[in-house]
Amino acid sequence: MSMKEKTQVADIDRSLYDFRYEEDEGEFLDSGISTDIIKEISDEKGDPDWMRELRLKSLEIYNKTPMVDWGPSIEGLDLDNIVTYIRQKSRMNTNWEDVPEDIKETFERLGIPQAERESLAGVGAQYDSELVYHNVRKEVAESGVIYTDLESAMHDPKYADLIRTHFMKLVPPTDHKFAALHGAVWSGGSFVYVPKNVHLEIPLQSYFRLNARGAGQFEHTLIILEEGSYLHFIEGCSAPKYYEAALHAGCVELYVGKGATLRYSTIENWSKNMYNLNTKRALVEEGGKIEWVSGSFGSHVSYLYPMSILNGRGASAEFTGITFAGEGQNLDTGAKIVHNAPETSSYMDTKSISKSGGVSTFRSAVVVKENAVGSKSAVNCESLMLDSISRSDTVPVMDIRTDKADIGHEAKIGRISDEAVFYLMSRGLSENEAKAMIVRGFADNVSKELPLEYAVEMNNLIGLEMQGSIG
Amino acid sequence: MEKTILNKLPVPTFRWLGVNGVEHEIKKYETKNVSVSADKDIIRNDVTESSKFTIDAQNGETSEVVQYIKSSGEISLATEINVHNGAKVRLVQVFENETGAVSEVAAKVDENAVFELVQVYLGGEKTVSEIKTELAGRSAAFTADIGYRLTGEDKLDINLIAEHFGKKSTSEITVNGVLEDTAEKTFKGTIDFKTGAKAAKGSEKENVLLLDSRVKNRTVPLILCAEEDMEGSHGASIGKLDENHIFYMKSRGISEEKIYELAARSRLMQVISKIGDDQTKARISEALQWGEEDE
Repeated sequence: MSMKEKTQVADIDRSLYDFRYEEDEGEFLDSGISTDIIKEISDEKGDPDWMRELRLKSLEIYNKTPMVDWGPSIEGLDLDNIVTYIRQKSRMNTNWEDVPEDIKETFERLGIPQAERESLAGVGAQYDSELVYHNVRKEVAESGVIYTDLESAMHDPKYADLIRTHFMKLVPPTDHKFAALHGAVWSGGSFVYVPKNVHLEIPLQSYFRLNARGAGQFEHTLIILEEGSYLHFIEGCSAPKYYEAALHAGCVELYVGKGATLRYSTIENWSKNMYNLNTKRALVEEGGKIEWVSGSFGSHVSYLYPMSILNGRGASAEFTGITFAGEGQNLDTGAKIVHNAPETSSYMDTKSISKSGGVSTFRSAVVVKENAVGSKSAVNCESLMLDSISRSDTVPVMDIRTDKADIGHEAKIGRISDEAVFYLMSRGLSENEAKAMIVRGFADNVSKELPLEYAVEMNNLIGLEMQGSIG
Repeated sequence: MEKTILNKLPVPTFRWLGVNGVEHEIKKYETKNVSVSADKDIIRNDVTESSKFTIDAQNGETSEVVQYIKSSGEISLATEINVHNGAKVRLVQVFENETGAVSEVAAKVDENAVFELVQVYLGGEKTVSEIKTELAGRSAAFTADIGYRLTGEDKLDINLIAEHFGKKSTSEITVNGVLEDTAEKTFKGTIDFKTGAKAAKGSEKENVLLLDSRVKNRTVPLILCAEEDMEGSHGASIGKLDENHIFYMKSRGISEEKIYELAARSRLMQVISKIGDDQTKARISEALQWGEEDE
């Protein structure tokens, strides 16, 4: 009897993202991290004194802080070989036509200008270390919404104080080694301010592209939502593949005011030489809500756990995520939620898929503090193993410090059910169609939460190629 | 005195949560060695001093081994169990130490063998308990029923690891507990499916009833998986009683205090009911100051 052929689910088709342009290496600062490099970055940017001090203090903290001693190995990342800053060929533009030709072509191939025309209220595009384009629709700007690059905002007297009082206050450089590194070398990123009671019905999007070889990207996203406002912010990221390790150590700080709601969606598709050590955190005030929607598809190694601090009565958080780990990938993803006020609530719904030797770990923390009386939390995570050379781990922690809380947790791990395939085949589908449908359905929790255009992009990311019989 | 890290989480996680291990001062003990052949239905042992037990169950033997741990000072207990092909061992451990204990159970379960663990924790200033079960053979089975009632300043840290090597091996872990006053508890339960453990199944469930706003509960249920053909699940429910449940009981004339007491007892009863030895059951009831009508 011949061996049955196992179902094959193809790795993500990356051809859309895997193109690059040669860089002028004269624009690179030296690789590695030193006081001289930090001062050079600070000089390039004309930092105010407080920012220069923060960078140098962060460097001190970075030098003192040990590497993480848990999670996937990052031994392949040699920070002495990472270029932390690349000068840009042109200044930031608000007119698309003024963007340099090769950069413009990059973003056009990624579909960013088309998305801006069709479905976005504003767009920011970062190429390597700097923003190259930022624009927001006229009517959105007239409503008082600020969407600009963080560095312009820092130098603008109207926003300088706001930046100073919020920048790296939620994620201090002492948080961990790569937060300290970020504080020292950060460059680029977006600043969004939504005034009281302003509802932005269509999303804003920032797209981060790392084109250079052996480089790092350290953008900082700072979003402040005033009372009663609403925003959907979309973050996209990609890079062409090189053999040298690359590093993404961005930072996202989100301040959600009283009764405000922020939806923060990410489709992460870094190339498979990328170490994605990103830190995201939201502070949610009374009655506010943070909704994270997260798709993790790329990177060689990922450490990614968006954190929500529910700081006001009735604040809530939702996290919906999917992680797809294929060959050569070790993706450690999840979320952290801290209930720090009465009657707060949180819900986590995550899926992960492991195949072709990929390692996927769901890691979470739900902390309910003594004062979070009447709080509720539910966590649901499911993992799908597509072969026995892959690995899937689930590492949740619940730390509960009040009796007046209601905490639930459910997790399941398994493979594609033969019964489900059999049922679908009895309804007229081929085996391949049935299995493809089951895997797509498994990812449905995230795709249904995204705007249509992005759900289509996500489905394109999961290229399914089915062969063989029931295996 | 030498400090060491006990109860290490098989896959460490965020340091700030403090669940990766327990720092403990290791004292030097005179250890009594006890060898147990599982050739009797019930074998009772009062553990009043630091001891090392070796339990060996041969093919076809079925036995319940009871360890009642009670001493005036801290105690160290190591229990090594080999459950050979087709044998069945139930290990019942009752911890009634006031000062606490360091306990380690290491079990190896062969083909078609069954290891049942029942643990009841009735207090202890600091109890550190590790259980490591290797499901080595085909269709090896492991069940763990663990109950605790912690009051005052009791502290309990449990680290249970079930490693599936054998095809069609099964593990079922059920934990029921009650925390009162300023008691602290950490339960780390890991089901680890190794490559080749085809058609293995593992499940884990913890229900924790919290009866004071000062308690600290940490629940860490891990599933590690390197095999495609398996089924794993875990669930946890932590907090107070369901409001509808309380409303119904009150409507039947039962006070809220009594409702919580009944709920606490029912959780422990679920665990105690797994014990076959009536003498041990009666001794636990006495320790819990339950009257006959409560049993």
